[in-house]
Amino acid sequence: MRKQGLFLTTLFTAFFLSGCIGGEANIVEKVEPRNQIVSNETSNTSEAIVQSQIGRIIGEEISPTDIRVTNPNSPEAIAVKKLKNEGVKFTLYFSFDGYEISEAATNEIIKHANLMKDYPQLNLRLEGHADERGTREYNLALGENRALAVKDVLALYGLTSRTQVISYGEEKPISNEHNEEGWKKNRRVDFIYE
Amino acid sequence: MILSRLTLLILLFSNFSWGVLEVSVIKNEDNALPVKILPFQIIGSVQGGDLIEKIITNNLNRTGHFSAKVDPSFDKNVINFSQLRSEKFEALVMANLEKKSEKIFDIQLKLIDPYSEKTIMNKKYAVHDSGIRRTAHFLSDQIYESILGIRGSFDTRLAYVTVSKNSHGKKEYRLEISDSDAQNPKTIITSSDPILSPVWSPDQNKIAYVSFRNLRSEVFVQYPFVRRKTLKLPYFDGIASSPSWHPDGNKLAITLSKDGNKDIYLYDMEKKSLERITKNPSIDTEASFSSDGKKMVFTSNRSGQVQIYIMDLESKKISRATYEGNYNAKAVFSPDGKSLALVHRLGKDYRVGILDIQTRDLTILTENELDESPFFAPSGDMIIYSTNKKNRGILSVVSIIGRQTFELSSVNGEVREPSWSNYSQ
Repeated sequence: MRKQGLFLTTLFTAFFLSGCIGGEANIVEKVEPRNQIVSNETSNTSEAIVQSQIGRIIGEEISPTDIRVTNPNSPEAIAVKKLKNEGVKFTLYFSFDGYEISEAATNEIIKHANLMKDYPQLNLRLEGHADERGTREYNLALGENRALAVKDVLALYGLTSRTQVISYGEEKPISNEHNEEGWKKNRRVDFIYE
Repeated sequence: MILSRLTLLILLFSNFSWGVLEVSVIKNEDNALPVKILPFQIIGSVQGGDLIEKIITNNLNRTGHFSAKVDPSFDKNVINFSQLRSEKFEALVMANLEKKSEKIFDIQLKLIDPYSEKTIMNKKYAVHDSGIRRTAHFLSDQIYESILGIRGSFDTRLAYVTVSKNSHGKKEYRLEISDSDAQNPKTIITSSDPILSPVWSPDQNKIAYVSFRNLRSEVFVQYPFVRRKTLKLPYFDGIASSPSWHPDGNKLAITLSKDGNKDIYLYDMEKKSLERITKNPSIDTEASFSSDGKKMVFTSNRSGQVQIYIMDLESKKISRATYEGNYNAKAVFSPDGKSLALVHRLGKDYRVGILDIQTRDLTILTENELDESPFFAPSGDMIIYSTNKKNRGILSVVSIIGRQTFELSSVNGEVREPSWSNYSQ
C-alpha cells in the first residue's frame, strides 16, 4: 500500500515538474463545514461523537497534489504526518447487534474516501468493536462486520487495498460502564490513519 | 463457617502466587449428606499427608451435596454405629497412608455405611509422593461416586483468564490453570493484550486460546506442562478465533473470516491442513464437538437471529437447535451428548441455560445479567461460567438443576473464560 502511494506521488511529482502546475481543486470545497456532527444512529449521541477534523487541517492548505508533497516540510506533508499521528481520527457508532451503515454514516465515510484520494500516502486502519453484551466470540465477529461494512463503502472508491480491517470485539472498550450509556460508546468502528 | 475455614486453608496452603482465586462456597442445601472423615493414618513420613483429608473434605463440601467434617476424636477401632446413625451420618471415611519407598506410598481407602454397618468400599492405591493434591482429588472422586453413584469432577483442572492492573496501572491479562478447587494455580502466559477462549485439549496436554499479542485475533496452542512450547497457528487473513478441540485431540475447530465471511474450519495440528466446515455468508462461530466426535454445535446468525445449530459431521447436515428467544449462543455439549449448555438472552439479560436437544426444552440456570462462557464439568452434573459480582468478573459453578454451588474470584482483578478439563491421567 505504501509503495502504491509513493509511486503515485512520484508520478504526480514528475507530472508537475514537467511544468504543469494545474488548477488544483480547492479541497475545502469537497468537505463540509468542520462543525458538523454526524451520527450513525437516530438518537442523540452528540456527546459521544468525535468531531471530524478534516475541515480544519485542510483549510490551511489549498493544493495537496503538487510537488510539495515530497517535501517533508511542506504544509501538506505536515498535514499527512499529523493525520498519521492522531491515533483515532474518527469514530462511527452502531446500533445494538447491528452493522448497518446509515446514509449519514455513508456521507461521513465518503469524506474519508476523499481524504484518502487526495493524500495517496494515507492508508486507513478500521478497528471494529462491540459492547460487552453477548458472547465474546460472536462479538469478535460482529466487530469485524462493522469494520467491513465501512470498508465496503470505501471499496466503491477503489480504496480496498489501502484499507485494513481489525476486530477487537468487546476486548477494548472505551467505556467500562455496564449500562446503555457505556455500551453505546463501545459499539463503534475507529478510523486510524497510517 | 465453611467460608472462614476455606479462607484459612487457602492462607495456610497457598503459595501466595499471584493467581490464587478465592473460593466461596454457596450455602449448602438442607439435604446435604453428612459425612464423617477420620484423619488419615500415616505410616512413615509422607509429605503433606495431613493435607489429604482436608482437601477431600473441602472437595465434598464445595459441591453442596455433602456436609463433610474431619473428626479427630472418633474411635475407629470400635465404631459406634448407633451414634453415627443418631447424628445422621451417611458415610464414614477412613484411610491409611504408608510410605513404601522414597517416592511411592500406598493408600487404603475405606467407606463404611452406618446404616447397614457394612463396608461399601475398600480399595488400595499406589501413588507417587509428589502428587498429594492429585491423590486427594482422585480419592474424592472415588468417595463421591461410591456414595452418590455418579462421578465427581475433582481430579480435573481449570483454565481461565484473569485481568488485573499491573504496578504501572496497565491492564495485564493472564492465562492460568489450576486444580479443580482453584488451588495450585500456574500462570501460563502473561500479556498486555487480550487473551480469550482458552480450551483444554481432551488429554490435558494442550491449551488452545486466542491472543491479541500481534494486535489481531490469532489462535495459539500452549503445552502447559512442557517448558516454553507454544505453537502459533498459521497466519490467516481476518479473524482467527474460537478454538475448540475435536475429541481426537489433534484437530481444532476455529472460526476464520479469510474467505469473505465468518465460517468454521477444522485445522489438523499434525498435517497442518485446513478443512472448511461451514460455508455460509452469515456469521458462523463458537463451534464445539460432542464427546463422541460425531456432532458439532455452533452459533450462527443465518436465520437473521443469533441461534444454535448442530451439524452431523458425517452427513454434514445442519439442523437448528434453539427456537426459544432471539439470541442463543456459545453452546457446548454435555458429556452424554443429550444437552447443551448455552447463553440465552432473556429480555435484556444474558443467562446460562441448559437445552434438552431432543425435546427442545430450555431451562434457565442462572440469574444474573451478563452470564456467559458456560462449560460442563466432565462429570456432566455441573457447569462453570463467567458472571459479574459487584461489577467484577468472577466464575461461578451451578448444578444442572440450577443450584449455585461455588464461586471463584480474583482478589486483585477479574476472572473470566473458564475451561474445565477432562479427568487427569
